[in-house]
Amino acid sequence: MLIFDQFNKGERPLRWMAGVVGAGLLLLLIGLLRVQIFGHHRFEQSLQTQSFQSVRVPALRGRILDRQGRECVGNVPRYRLDVYLETLSRDFTREYGLLRREVVAARGGTNISSPGLWERMMSKLRHDRPRVLIRPEENSLLWRQARYNVLSNVVSRVANKVGLPLTLTESELHRHWANSRALPLAVLKKLTPQQVSLLTEQSWSIRGISIELQAVRHYPHGPMAAHTLGYLVRADDFEGEEGESFDYRLRDYRGAAGLEAAFDTALRGTSGSKSILVNSDGYRVGETMTTAPVPGQNLITTLDIEVQKATESALSAVSGEERGAVVVLDVRNGDVLAVASAPSFDPGEWIDGISRARWTNYYDVPKRTPLINRATDGAYSPGSTFKIVTALAALENGLDPDRVQIVEANPSKPGKGLFQRGNIRIEDTAPPGPYDFRRAFIRSSNAYFIQLGLDAGYDRLLSTAHRFHFGEQTRIQLRPTEERSGWMPEPAEARAERWPQGRLANFSIGQEVTVTPLQLAVMVAAVANGGTVYYPRLVDRLESGDPLSEEAPSSIRPGQVRSRLETRPEYLARIRAAMRDDVLDPEGTGTSARVADYTVCGKTGTAEIKGNGVKDKVTWFASFAPFESPRYAVVVMVESGASGGRTCGPVAQKIYEHLRARDAGSGRPIALNSAP
Amino acid sequence: MTPLSLQNRRAEADILWPLWLSVLGLMIISAMFIFSTTGGTEITRGVPWYQWTATRQVIAFGIGLFVVLGLSLVDYIRMARWAMVGYWVSIALLMAVHVLGTSRNGARRWLDLGPIQFQPSELAKLTFLFAMANFLARPSSELRSPSVFLKALMLTLLPLGLILKQPDLGSSLVFLPITLVMMLVAGVPQRFVIKLLGGAFLIVSLIAIDIFIAPENWRLIRLQNYQRERLLVYFNADFAPDSATPEQRQRATQRKRQMSWNVEQALISVGSGGFTGKGWREGTQHRLGYLPRLGAHNDFIFSVIAEERGFIGSVAVVTLYGIILFSGIKTAGESRDRLGRLLAIGVVTLFFVHIFVNIGMNIKLMPVTGIPLPLLSAGGTSVLCSLIAVGVLQNIHLYRKRY
Repeated sequence: MLIFDQFNKGERPLRWMAGVVGAGLLLLLIGLLRVQIFGHHRFEQSLQTQSFQSVRVPALRGRILDRQGRECVGNVPRYRLDVYLETLSRDFTREYGLLRREVVAARGGTNISSPGLWERMMSKLRHDRPRVLIRPEENSLLWRQARYNVLSNVVSRVANKVGLPLTLTESELHRHWANSRALPLAVLKKLTPQQVSLLTEQSWSIRGISIELQAVRHYPHGPMAAHTLGYLVRADDFEGEEGESFDYRLRDYRGAAGLEAAFDTALRGTSGSKSILVNSDGYRVGETMTTAPVPGQNLITTLDIEVQKATESALSAVSGEERGAVVVLDVRNGDVLAVASAPSFDPGEWIDGISRARWTNYYDVPKRTPLINRATDGAYSPGSTFKIVTALAALENGLDPDRVQIVEANPSKPGKGLFQRGNIRIEDTAPPGPYDFRRAFIRSSNAYFIQLGLDAGYDRLLSTAHRFHFGEQTRIQLRPTEERSGWMPEPAEARAERWPQGRLANFSIGQEVTVTPLQLAVMVAAVANGGTVYYPRLVDRLESGDPLSEEAPSSIRPGQVRSRLETRPEYLARIRAAMRDDVLDPEGTGTSARVADYTVCGKTGTAEIKGNGVKDKVTWFASFAPFESPRYAVVVMVESGASGGRTCGPVAQKIYEHLRARDAGSGRPIALNSAP
Repeated sequence: MTPLSLQNRRAEADILWPLWLSVLGLMIISAMFIFSTTGGTEITRGVPWYQWTATRQVIAFGIGLFVVLGLSLVDYIRMARWAMVGYWVSIALLMAVHVLGTSRNGARRWLDLGPIQFQPSELAKLTFLFAMANFLARPSSELRSPSVFLKALMLTLLPLGLILKQPDLGSSLVFLPITLVMMLVAGVPQRFVIKLLGGAFLIVSLIAIDIFIAPENWRLIRLQNYQRERLLVYFNADFAPDSATPEQRQRATQRKRQMSWNVEQALISVGSGGFTGKGWREGTQHRLGYLPRLGAHNDFIFSVIAEERGFIGSVAVVTLYGIILFSGIKTAGESRDRLGRLLAIGVVTLFFVHIFVNIGMNIKLMPVTGIPLPLLSAGGTSVLCSLIAVGVLQNIHLYRKRY
């Protein structure tokens, strides 16, 4: 043969070459023989089963607890009814056979409907009926139909048992079959315990169904502290989260706001994975858990559920429709005991998704904006509450608090004062007459404090404000995107741009600048505790959900000092006394916050906002108590209120009533029951 | 005597009929099974017929045959004068790939030329073959000098290194057996060949140490993870380093199962074909996505053929390749000059290595590498270079009796 000629006449290297090539090809042929002929059966079988698909299994999410270990956010079991498609695959085939026969009969029928003589003779000769051609598209539609028939049969039997209308659309089934055939199909997502018992008693007669238990986020107190705790949204995209690719992911959630978002990774834990053995038709054959999920850590907050509830009910007593926020701090260490923001929402609503109607009618309403945490993510002009800062700046500037200053009368408004100097002219709400520091503070005289502000100058006033860290985030343990820094310009900015004195006058009485309620609470706490500015602390610690875990909890140290005011104690004492008198003195603006046998100290504020031609007000009450040994700082802010004294004072009063009863009555100090 | 008149007079004897009929057979098989693999999804996705992978392959065949026809007008000795030019052009292209190349799967192998993508490493194999043959075609007395041997070695290592950097381990290692065989045939003294053999062994073992043993930061060749894992799968080695935590180890085990699963799937494809196969376009493995979707029509085309046409189909393919290889060896034997002989042997080696490694990987005889199956795998550059290589054999045959 031609090909092998070179064996005879070729030279040695070529003979070698031919030998190697021949041997190599022979080796391949032997290999092929082994695999395709002798190994054929083995591989045929493995074709049936050799296929793993990995499924991401989410971990149990950690709980969020209050400072005494009471549950703010937890998990509850939810029962779900699943149908395992692989158990029905034979029914699919049988149903498909029936449908196909029908189609063939229908087609055959039309063919023979008007047969000529020739046709009839021929059909007798042909022992077969004419072959009907079913195109591949038609065929796959038949399969689809067959699967849907079988499934809807199963589903309707379940529906009868449970007494519920169950709907399974054909496209829903097809999507599941095409994308996640190896996973069970959830036909009913929320089963009541009664339905579960009904089904478990009788379901033995229905093939392919099973009841699955899943953990679902649960908010036992409904909308309580919703903004702080946050809510969850569905998340299906954990791209490269653990550097692994999955064929399927079981439904998981991601924190979208509040603590759920800020501590999402710790709360979520580590997802596990399971491998599903799948046959060549894509149905499940078996499964094994390859890595078990590690549950998320529990988060212990500094909140106190009872204080939180009292705070929210006090705030909601304003009108029921109010927009506002309250912050309750422990002035001794900056612990956040309660944060309320109204209007609120129920985070539980988000578990199954928010309907479009609900979103447009409730959440996406201008001005209402229930999702905004007004305590940290709302920046407002502090109004007269800022006079506390102006007072400190003036006292440090050498103000003699006892010197009397005369405020002139406003000619256009009888009984009201007026500040006028050069081209600055600001109307006052307090009456004209003689004012010393105490009287000016409790009557909230704008004219007096503008004078103080102008005397102190931009540098002193603004740098005093910056010593309380206005204009900066408090770095509370939420996502930085959920906290505003407010607007408090640097003294250098005022110098560089040569701002007019009129602006300084506005700053002195808390106009133009903006603060968050939380910032204001930190400020009041610093005045109350003798000059220490704390980082507010919302989270105490993260610890393993498993009580037997050896893992050490990671905690945030309480009472972390951000800075000290470095001022003379008598200045702060003077301000505290004025704040006490604002509530106690019948002439004060804050008398509505008075609590029997409990010295509440406060400062009211009403800031006027002009925007888009509409005048609106932000009302404030910034306070601490008790006077003798300050313990709590409470800051109340209500948008569009009447005035600080009338709108916010009563809110603070209700909160202090609760705090007083709590400290006196139970004798239980509000302390963390943390491990030693 | 002009080549053309020679062709006229002895046309029948001068065309290597068995060779070209085999090539034709492989081209038909290629188009059919590329269509079987990719046609279904392309039709459902509404890709127009002129953009199908199979159509592009047929166009590549047409262009290739046209180029071969053109090249047959020039005899191989005249072509070989341009060998070094071609060599350096390829080297420049290989360097360009590092800068301008587009990457797939983390390897930079392609130059993007608008509608087509060009793979310089395929061209480099061919031009290297010419350069090497041209270099070794000098009188055998010169081959005894060590400096000539060293130059030949440099000639090999330059493209090898550049391709290794892409990284494309499989294609770069192809250069070693080609050099080895050509040197043997050229008559390079045994001691040099033994040295080369030792050197090749050294390179391979260094690469192996680099891959399997060296700590991550010490590795010289930064293989992509998937390449390393392919080799680990082949040698059934442990994925996790010794220092791994139990958790990492568990992950690694799972990874390994995923990786070896792909290899296993190719084997299942081949094995489930049985004696006669499941029929054209009836294979389930690639259709259900068990074969790596990106590789089914190029690197794993053999397993598709084997699944759909069974043992008969795979034997047919191997036989067709056998005819090409032995025609090549025969051509080498007939050639009256050293250049022709070396060229022919080079082409045979190039084909043989590709065929053996690719089919071998489909039946788990070889580790998985990105080496295409000549003429069968989808890919324009590979098709073009394979056809030119066959054309070179024909050319040598055509001009064998010039003297």
